[in-house]
This record gives sequence, C-alpha cells and structure tokens, in this order.
Amino acid sequence: MANQKLVMLADTERCVNCKGCEVACRAEWNTPLGFNRNWVIETISISDDGVPHMYLISGRCQHCDDAPCVTNCPSGASYQRDDGVVLVDREFCSGCEMCVQVCPYDARFKNPLDDKISKCTFCQPRIDAGEQPACVEVCFNRALIFGDINDPNSEVSQLLKQEKWKKLVTDKVDTKPNHYYSESTYLDASVLPQEKEPTIEAEVISKVVNPVVSVGFSGMLGLFGAAGIMKIIKRREEVSNDSHSE
Amino acid sequence: MTHTANKPMVLVRSKNVILLHWFNAICWFLLTPTGLGIIRGDDLRIIPAGWSEFMQNLVGGNANLVLIHSVLGIVWTAVIAVFTLLYLNSVVVPFLKDVLSITPKSIWDDAIYMVKVIVGLLSPNKSEQVLPAYGRYNGAQRLLGTMIIVCSIAIAVTGLAMFFGPGIGLPPEIFRWSLVLHALCVGVVWIGLVPHIYFGVIEEPEALEGMKSGYLEEDFIKHHKAKWYEELKQQGEI
Repeated sequence: MANQKLVMLADTERCVNCKGCEVACRAEWNTPLGFNRNWVIETISISDDGVPHMYLISGRCQHCDDAPCVTNCPSGASYQRDDGVVLVDREFCSGCEMCVQVCPYDARFKNPLDDKISKCTFCQPRIDAGEQPACVEVCFNRALIFGDINDPNSEVSQLLKQEKWKKLVTDKVDTKPNHYYSESTYLDASVLPQEKEPTIEAEVISKVVNPVVSVGFSGMLGLFGAAGIMKIIKRREEVSNDSHSE
Repeated sequence: MTHTANKPMVLVRSKNVILLHWFNAICWFLLTPTGLGIIRGDDLRIIPAGWSEFMQNLVGGNANLVLIHSVLGIVWTAVIAVFTLLYLNSVVVPFLKDVLSITPKSIWDDAIYMVKVIVGLLSPNKSEQVLPAYGRYNGAQRLLGTMIIVCSIAIAVTGLAMFFGPGIGLPPEIFRWSLVLHALCVGVVWIGLVPHIYFGVIEEPEALEGMKSGYLEEDFIKHHKAKWYEELKQQGEI
C-alpha cells in the first residue's frame, strides 16, 4: 500500500519471556542453531527502596531510517523499502559482512547455511501478503504489535497516541529506528545501541581511496581543462597574427 | 614507409594492437559507469547516488547491471589474457621492456620533463618545447603504461575474486580488500587517462592517427622521439 510506514511496538510490560517469538522466527526462517533473528533480553533495575525490577526486552533489527548497514553495503544488497522495512537482497549479497560490523544492535549475522547475511525482515513475505510477522502472530500476550504508523486507524497509531513509548537510542547513537518500546522500560547497555566503527576496508575506501581519486581526477581535469583553454587562446592569437600579417 | 599528403609516414603499429587498444578503451568506458552504478552505499560510493539509480533504471535493475559489469569484465580479462599469450614475444615483451625499463635517473628525467611540459601547456606564450631524446615512449607514457599494466592486473584479479569468491567460499576479508584495491586501481588509471586522452585528442592528433591507421608521420617521430627515430633509421624503416 502506498505511503505505508511499518513499525513494531514492544509492550515490555506484557512480555513474559515465553520465547514464543524466538521459536516462531526460527521455524519461519529455518535459522541455524547459535544464531537469532530476534531475542528477549532481561534487564534489572533497583528502585530507590532497594527492590529489583526485571524488564523483558524483545530485540531484533530496528529497521532504522538512517541504517548504517545500508550505507555500508557495497552492492546495494542491503536496502530500505519505501515502507521502512530494511531488507537484504540475497541475490546480490556477497556475505562480505561490512553491514554486520556497523549494526549498532548486532541484529545481523552471516548465515552459515548459505553464507548470506540474515536479519529480521518483519517477515517480509508474510506482511506483503497482508499477514502479521510470525513473532507477532504467536505472541499470546500481545506484547508485540505491528502495523502502519501512517494509518491513523491502525492499532500501532492508536497505541502510540494513547501511551508513551521510546526508542533504543542514545545521545551518541541515533539511527532513527522504527521500533518502539514502552516508556517504563529500563534500558541498560545490553540493549542500547553501541557505537560501531566500519570495517577497516570501508574506512580505507571512504577516507583514502575516494578522496585520493576525487582530488587526483578533479585535479587532472582542471589542469588539462586549463591547458585546453590556453591552447584555444594561443590558437586565436596565431590566427589573429596571421590575418594581420596578410 | 609510405606517403600521405606528401608527408612520409611510418607503419609503427599492427592492426591487432590497434584493435586491442580500442577494445580496451571501449571496455573502460562501459565498465567504469556500470561499476560506479553498482557501488550504492552512501559511505562507500564516490559519485552521487543518482548515478546508481540512473544506471539501474537504464539496464532494468541491479541484477542486470551486476550481470553486465561482470560479464564484460570477464570478457575484458579473457581477451587481454589471450592477446598476451598469442603475441607475447612479438608485442607484449617488447612493450614491457620499453615501458618498465625504469632507473632512478630516468624517473628524475621523466619528472622534470613532465613538469616542463605542463608548465608549457599552461604558459600564455607559445613556446616550442625542447624535448629530450626519447625512445618510443616518453616519461609520461611510461608512467601511464606502468600504471595501466599494474592496475589492470590488479583489477582483473580482484574482479574475479569478488565475482567468484563468495561462491567458492573465499573469506569475506578477501572480498572486502578486493573491493578496496579494485576501486583504487580504477581511480588511479582514470587519473592517468585524463592526460592520455587530452594529448591524443587535442595536443597531438598525430598520435591519435597513429592509433587509428598504425602510421605516424616521420617528422612527428623525429621531433618527439629522437632516439626511436634513430632506431627506425638503423632498422631501415625510415
């Protein structure tokens, strides 16, 4: 549908850590053991009266609008659709892992079954068929809610209006994710995005190769463009001198 | 030796070499825009994203763009490799000897010569350059030739590594460093191609003619490549 903006809401107060979302995702995508496209992390905060509080935070690709995985993909295999869903085109994915390195949420991995990059796609085939992502569908306590934020009648739009939500961002890392969490959720370093450096190869391309080539090529164009102009000027003078001498 | 419009001409290139040069040139003019179109990531690309979109729309999507670039790159590599094998002794080795015979003195002389030529080009006064007695290739040509030989080998090897590497299980580091080297070498060659094209098209059209017909004017050789002129005279070509 045109102008859709798909988002996920995680109502952390409803999550009971049943792992249903993880199991459904694994079954849907045949994720190999040792890897996860989504997960639930426990965080604990101690209140002023000394009582510990546990929070259950469902994590996955945050489908960022400023996705470093997209800007660091050399072939365009990682891309963001107009509806905000960040996908990996498996046909072009070389498995170079430049995107894995820069994801602040560690939401990507190289699938050992096919050496391509895997991640949460919000179950793209299902949502394109008008269904819900597998994790949302099995979440019996409705801790996960998925929908179109641009549709004022959607459940996500209503919930975002009625309650307070926050995103997994910090002062240093804000990649404009499209995943929301209950305002009351306690977020510690285990769930907050981490500053990530690109691979050394990406750094060399962006900070050495591209500037050197840009300056070198522009310099050459400028130099020989000027030489061409000088040649025209000299030629005009020659023609002018010849006509005067005649 | 032959004469065109009363100017004595010397045959200096075979048809095969001319064909290879233009095949190489066409490939560069096709491979560069398609390659630039493939590299889309904002942190990695060197030209605006619009180029990538334009190229992909032009050929019907990223799949076709990658396919065209890859097939053309493999054909380019294969043709040059076959040419090298077929004409190893008659063309390739003599060319390499001419181009790669570099000494500290020749590097110094070439550098001085190139600076003088550039200053002369930008000078408002028309001044006849007093050229050193060069062999077949002058300093700039030898530098460009060395760059093209080294970079072309690197481009071919890294291109093949990127195309076939993921399929045969090469480590991702190989792909990533291949990408770095591939981009760097293409850029370096293009930096050298600017003066190459300028001199061929604008400054020395005789040289361009030599790359079309295979013939160069005797006077042009005598003026630009005095040592080579003497060699050709000794060989009875002039």
